Amino acid sequence: MTAAEGSAASRSGARGSGASGSGLRIAACAKWVDLRPGVDALTGRVSTDERRFGFSAADAAALEVALRLGSEWGAEVDVVVAAPAPAEGAIRSLAAAGASRAIRVDLPSGASSKQVAASLAAATADADVVVCGDYSLDVGSGSVPASIAHRRGAAQALGLISVTPESPGVVRAVRRLDGGRREHLRVRTPAVLSVEGSVATLRRAPLRSLRAGHAPAVEVIDPVGLAVASVRLDRTEPVRPRARALPGPNGSAAFDRVVELTGALVARTPPRRVDAADDADAAADAIIEQLAAWGYLDPS
Amino acid sequence: MSVDYDAIVVGAGPAGSAAAIALARSGRSVALIERGPFPGSKNMYGGVVYGRILDGIVPNWWEEAPIQRWVTRRATMMMTDTQALTVDFRTAAWGAPPYNGATAYRPDFDQWLATHATAAGAELICSTTVTGVLRDGNRVVGVRTDRPDGELTARTVIACDGVNSFVAKEAGLYGEVEAHHYTVGVKETIRLGRDVIDQRFGLRGLDGADFEIVGCTNGIPGGGFLYTNLDTVAVGVVLELPSLAKQDRRPEQILAGLKSHPAIAPFLEGGEIGEYSAHVIPEGGLAMMPELVGDGLLVAGDAAAMCLAAGIWLEGVNFAIASGHAAGLATADALRRGDTSAAGLSGYRRRLETTFVLADHRKLAGAPELMMSPRMQRAYPQVACNTAERLFTVENPRPKTGLNAIVRSELKAAGVKVADLGRDALRGLRSFG
Amino acid sequence: MSEYQEIGFEQRMALVDFRVSERAHITVDGDACRGCTTQGCVVACPANLFVPTSDGGILFNYEQCFECGTCYLVCNTEGAITWTYPEGGHGVVFALS
Ligand SMILES: Cc1cc2nc3c(=O)[nH]c(=O)nc-3n(C[C@H](O)[C@H](O)[C@H](O)COP(=O)(O)OP(=O)(O)OC[C@H]3O[C@@H](n4cnc5c(N)ncnc54)[C@H](O)[C@@H]3O)c2cc1C
Ligand code: SF4
Ligand code: SF4
Repeated sequence: MTAAEGSAASRSGARGSGASGSGLRIAACAKWVDLRPGVDALTGRVSTDERRFGFSAADAAALEVALRLGSEWGAEVDVVVAAPAPAEGAIRSLAAAGASRAIRVDLPSGASSKQVAASLAAATADADVVVCGDYSLDVGSGSVPASIAHRRGAAQALGLISVTPESPGVVRAVRRLDGGRREHLRVRTPAVLSVEGSVATLRRAPLRSLRAGHAPAVEVIDPVGLAVASVRLDRTEPVRPRARALPGPNGSAAFDRVVELTGALVARTPPRRVDAADDADAAADAIIEQLAAWGYLDPS
Repeated sequence: MSVDYDAIVVGAGPAGSAAAIALARSGRSVALIERGPFPGSKNMYGGVVYGRILDGIVPNWWEEAPIQRWVTRRATMMMTDTQALTVDFRTAAWGAPPYNGATAYRPDFDQWLATHATAAGAELICSTTVTGVLRDGNRVVGVRTDRPDGELTARTVIACDGVNSFVAKEAGLYGEVEAHHYTVGVKETIRLGRDVIDQRFGLRGLDGADFEIVGCTNGIPGGGFLYTNLDTVAVGVVLELPSLAKQDRRPEQILAGLKSHPAIAPFLEGGEIGEYSAHVIPEGGLAMMPELVGDGLLVAGDAAAMCLAAGIWLEGVNFAIASGHAAGLATADALRRGDTSAAGLSGYRRRLETTFVLADHRKLAGAPELMMSPRMQRAYPQVACNTAERLFTVENPRPKTGLNAIVRSELKAAGVKVADLGRDALRGLRSFG
Repeated sequence: MSEYQEIGFEQRMALVDFRVSERAHITVDGDACRGCTTQGCVVACPANLFVPTSDGGILFNYEQCFECGTCYLVCNTEGAITWTYPEGGHGVVFALS
């Protein structure tokens, strides 16, 4: 990782020189998750163990990207993690790689994506660039970065496979699309970027910043209360359709009643077949037409 | 000379944490460097910690240590392919304070012990591998690690880096390393459920069982074990390296053989493997021990081959804690006097001589060789099992053969001379008696 | 009642947490192995990481290694195995041992 080493060398210069730099701020967000939850082969029960908790490759890559942007632009990097108190040791070690601040938003491990995104958006409010992993290992919806961008009214570029700094405040990024295509983006701050784990390998923290008194202390901030916080979801029950009385089948013989019940031997509309391989457009039109006919779609 | 620490301890296993506890409590600055992400993450063993040594280090340790079960049943099993003869000892005394042995998982236990080091003021640095020592002439003055800016200096370095101790080897404290002094232990932790374990092993509450087994290793010098945790059991074999390398069954196959033995299989039925693990054990005892001190350097625990392993004896954690603690105390003395040369640190050996550590190793000096001999490994289990089988097989109307006659004929069948038996018995008495 | 099955070697190794580092901490010089008649590492390595090749050499994978030390201790060929510990924080992480 020569790139990482190169920027590690210039980092110490960058750190204290926020003023001489661009005045930009960068935040890297990470989620503290069980990297290897246990699954019982027979019951499928999932078990977690705090000792296996850590940060995914994508989250580590996000910090590395943030550090590289930081050293290129002379900007400071904050590490922001929404996690409970036991995560602090891990947050400190993560931040030791070169962040100037380590911030923990005090949320339990199972907090909803909405709550996490709202809190992270508030905690990174003064950052020009927020870098996240593409999706978390446990929930994995990938909605948090998008949601942060939305709340902050920032640009978003998600699922990136390469991020290169251009002039201060502008990055070039590459995103993977379906079918092996690539999308080249130019993103201006304020922006939220989410990156795949393969983008970069996080540099190793220098020994000195791991030692007591050398690593930044973890600042703890309260989560943001959501607007709907007064309504709490206790549990969701399965659908229970109401009982409906149905007339019994006619027919004196059991066979006739079964025939009537199952609807067999009655004329019905035959299924329609459109071969999509021949004409995909016609197939799509046919599906839409049919859905509209059944009342699932508004025909307009 | 300005240094980063009074002492650097390499490895946060039981030896390292005990050394760091002793030094930190003497008011010294200590760094405890561990290559795993947390203490214990790299460590596996059979499964029983003998806690007496902890009495002087963590009073009432039994109220807080992360133990699984208290061993109240200890059985020694002699095995042939189809037979097993067990000496089964139980005592309620071991199930109450101050206890004797306890099963525990090392990732739990080692991490717990390390918290006592950090509570006393030691600085624990994890995920950091020591890659070499810093020297000033012959003197060790610090360590190099695999991190950027990774050098640390100290007045003393204590190598507690386990059986492969590259620190002690690099510092030249080891002579030639001989493979026959080492065994490899492989084990499976099998999930069974607490109730099932209670029923199958005849246990209640936190009582636990500990089976040591001879004759289950396909003729390779070594042994086997079966220990109960709360809701899992640990089953494993220990195999002498050169003999293992010379034959054609792989360790997990030999272990599978033990697991399917008619005396063991019923204990394990229906269990699910939770983890498979392996680690090397220094079995040579005194015969392989390195120099214990150099200028600015001490070695403790498995790094100094302090593990006491002789067939049915497999004690290493207690020896590691004792030797690590002694190394820490001796270093604190030496620092107080301002002399951390090899001579200044020689109090370490004196401390070990006066405790059980070297006394037990002296006493059992002949035991590894005896326990690993072909007679002990194959012939005696065969003789014992056949004798028992003939003694207990009812064959009337044929009259019973006398015990004496059975033993003689079985010894003969197994090719054991009575003189050998006598010699081994004497050696055994001298060692274990 | 359904029961847990005895599992294959790959599944057995999959139960263990290996935090694989980019750097191979053990390397084996396949050429040095060609002169080795015993190949004790093949049978002794508890993780079964040494695979003999048809031309008498050895194929070695470092990823699922217990870092136990068995291989370098049983190997009698100078220079065949280069053995170090993985980068700190990487390699095997036990939980139930
Ligand atoms: C299969 C098996 C069964 C056993 N059964 C028992 C038993 O039932 N009871 C018992 O009491 N003993 C048992 N033992 C022995 C016992 O495990 C050891 O004697 C004991 O662990 C030694 O402790 P230690 O602190 O010296 O070394 P270890 O426990 O090996 O600790 C060494 C530590 O140093 C770290 N380290 C190593 N190199 C470096 C480096 N370069 N940089 C940083 N850190 C490093 C390691 O990660 C590790 O944490 C058994 C051993 C085995 C293998
Ligand atoms: S690694 Fe050593 S023991 Fe294994 S084949 Fe090569 S030379 Fe032989
Ligand atoms: S250290 Fe152990 S597990 Fe790793 S390759 Fe060598 S023998 Fe196999």
